[in-house]
Amino acid sequence: MSAVSTQVGRCPHCDLAVEGDDAFCCHGCELAYALVHDAGLGDYYTRRDVAGQRPEQLKGAWEAVPTRSEDNGSCSVTLQVDGLRCASCTWVVEHLLAQTDGIDDVTVSYATGRTHVRFDPQSLTTRQVASVIASIGYAPRPVGAAEPWDDTLIRMGVAAFCTANLMLLTISLYAGWSDGMAPRFQSMFRWGSLALATPIALYSAAPFFSGAWRGLRVARVGMDVPIALAVGVLYTHGIAQTLLGAEAYLDSLGMLVTLLLTGRLLEKRGRRAAADAASAIAASLPMTARRRTATGVEDVAIAELCVGDVVELGLGDEAPADGTVIQGTADVQMAIVTGESAPMQARTGSEIVAGASILQGALAVAVDRVGEDTVAMRMAAAVRDATDRPMPEHPTDRLAPWFTVVTVGIALAAGAVWTALSGLHTGIEVTVAVLVVACPCALGLSVPLAVASGLGAVARRGVVFRDGGRLLTLASVKTLLMDKTGTVTQGTPVVLTADNEILRLAAGLERSSRHPIAKALLAEAARRELPLPLMTDRNETPGVGVSGNYGGRLLHLQSGGAGRVVLCEGTEVLGTIELGDRAHPDARKSVQQLQNAGVSVALLSGDNAAVTEAMGSDLGADQATGGATPEQKGAVIRAARLNGHVAFVGDGLNDSEALAAADVGFAMHTGVTSAVLLSDAVVTTSALRPIVAAFAGARATQDAVRTNMRRAFTYNILAVVAASFGLINPLIAAILMPLSSAWMVWGAMSVDRRITHLEDTWT
Amino acid sequence: MDIVIVLIPIALALGAVFAVLFAIAARSGQFEDLDDPATRMLQED
Repeated sequence: MSAVSTQVGRCPHCDLAVEGDDAFCCHGCELAYALVHDAGLGDYYTRRDVAGQRPEQLKGAWEAVPTRSEDNGSCSVTLQVDGLRCASCTWVVEHLLAQTDGIDDVTVSYATGRTHVRFDPQSLTTRQVASVIASIGYAPRPVGAAEPWDDTLIRMGVAAFCTANLMLLTISLYAGWSDGMAPRFQSMFRWGSLALATPIALYSAAPFFSGAWRGLRVARVGMDVPIALAVGVLYTHGIAQTLLGAEAYLDSLGMLVTLLLTGRLLEKRGRRAAADAASAIAASLPMTARRRTATGVEDVAIAELCVGDVVELGLGDEAPADGTVIQGTADVQMAIVTGESAPMQARTGSEIVAGASILQGALAVAVDRVGEDTVAMRMAAAVRDATDRPMPEHPTDRLAPWFTVVTVGIALAAGAVWTALSGLHTGIEVTVAVLVVACPCALGLSVPLAVASGLGAVARRGVVFRDGGRLLTLASVKTLLMDKTGTVTQGTPVVLTADNEILRLAAGLERSSRHPIAKALLAEAARRELPLPLMTDRNETPGVGVSGNYGGRLLHLQSGGAGRVVLCEGTEVLGTIELGDRAHPDARKSVQQLQNAGVSVALLSGDNAAVTEAMGSDLGADQATGGATPEQKGAVIRAARLNGHVAFVGDGLNDSEALAAADVGFAMHTGVTSAVLLSDAVVTTSALRPIVAAFAGARATQDAVRTNMRRAFTYNILAVVAASFGLINPLIAAILMPLSSAWMVWGAMSVDRRITHLEDTWT
Repeated sequence: MDIVIVLIPIALALGAVFAVLFAIAARSGQFEDLDDPATRMLQED
């Protein structure tokens, strides 16, 4: 077999090697290239460090994406753009959008792919904005409604500013104890301190008061109650002492509020990063449908569809409703629901769900369920409920009521004893001193700091947790169950064995196809740097294969049974290409590490038992169960939970029940939306190593939380005893409080180091 | 030493100006994304 053409070029847009003068690999790339050049952004091709991607058709219900109205009549939308792999990608997307008529302002974040666009709703729609991005090969996805503006940062800033100045004034006052100080300066410094403490108590600490009030109304004493109590007592006492011209604990008040707000801010940032990772949701339903009528076909909005209508679906269309095929055959991809990227054959009698897309062929479908009743919408509703579920409470929230009662009790008792011994004034002093040193600063910081540090460390290693409570739960997990396809394996077909020349010809035939097998062939050809031949008369027949003419040779590529395709010339078979799903390269090592950590690892797959068991023994898993239905997966997990906490890793809709049933559910970021939303944590890279890191992170965080809580209690007990004996004055309180907080920070900082240490130990 | 009676209020007033500027900056979203500006300067427009 000899190559007909020898001239080799590269697709200018996606850098795929191709044969012939017609250098573009496909029409999409050609359009993208022209678009970028016409916009005067040709520089992109010289400055980028990675090749572009082949443009995909824009899908989804963009009309339903929420936008925010701005004051000047424009509106803004936030999109998640996938595929931004270098700074030039950001540059070209940003500039192309900026040059589009009707777009006022664009910012693209290289780090996160978040893109904010402000545009004129009169001249553009969200769909048009998204299609600009899609037309040059990046994949825009809609993002859930933006979180309301949060002013913790400003409250923290104000508290920090006031506290710093407050300390300058009080240090002068304390220094005055030994050297003496003119009374007018003293009173000026005291009144100045009170003036600076006022914004801290009334503005910065306001969230603690409202939180405590919210809790008390429903008879729940959370961590906010002792904090609000401490702030209230400190401030009132401060006003009284200033009027009397005596020392107050106002600097301690400032420190308390600043440190607690800092802890809260760190926790919020971590949680928002997790929410961002999970909320990039594609609402994948089309907005219009082609309905058959007595005389022909009409376009209608999906809201007008009724059960019993017949809709027509062609190449690239998405089903607007659930239904049954009554005519035609097609390759249909239902990844939105099944998570299975391989297409299935639909023929008369097959059931189609809303959101399924037609890869080849055409269908007529009788509508069975519309709107809210469709599988996709019920799934979305379940997901909404799941994301609204309350967060697990902090360990300190359980202690808060006891803490409050005990502290107030001791303070009052000590105050009563001292009143009896040496008068009311000393009694009040001691009561306040106990409340100040036993203030919940250390306790309030102990958990958030450790958890924020743990969440950050784990996120840097590729797992984003939705909240800290789940991370702590993971520390006690002894059983890990994993889905196979898309979790342990990559989930999309890859070429296992193929002859170079056969692969080259096959990839040439599949050049502009969007079939998953075509993508696998093209990816492998690109990896091997094979120049793609130019075919004429390309013809794709649904369910049969692709044929084309290559320099007079009539070639066709067709399915050769499970996991293989056959390339033929006329009736002669030229060769076969084996395709399959491969485990992640790090899978075996990760399983080993988890077992060393005392976690039993099992595979739980819907795939057939023999394949699952082979994969299980290959990886060294403790157990492998195949052929499990979604319900069985849920049941297996509920059974395993009788013996302790269970974690599950999955990616598809068939894993939803398992994800919800498990104590900690991990979803792969490549998985279906429902899986990602139902999960407690998202694995952001396609590998298993992050899961090992998550286990290490959970245990390290658990350790840090325990250490910190132990330290907080030790400190509080010592300090309360000292205060009860009248040994604490404002200066000592001002020194003790930051020391105790620094102790907490020190405990939290050990998490990252400890994770690395644990990972090494398990290897 | 009497000068502190003037200096301290001036210092506080200056500080307050920056606290207000900080609040304006935070409100306009300048602290939302702390990773990108660092890479942005490497791109010429």
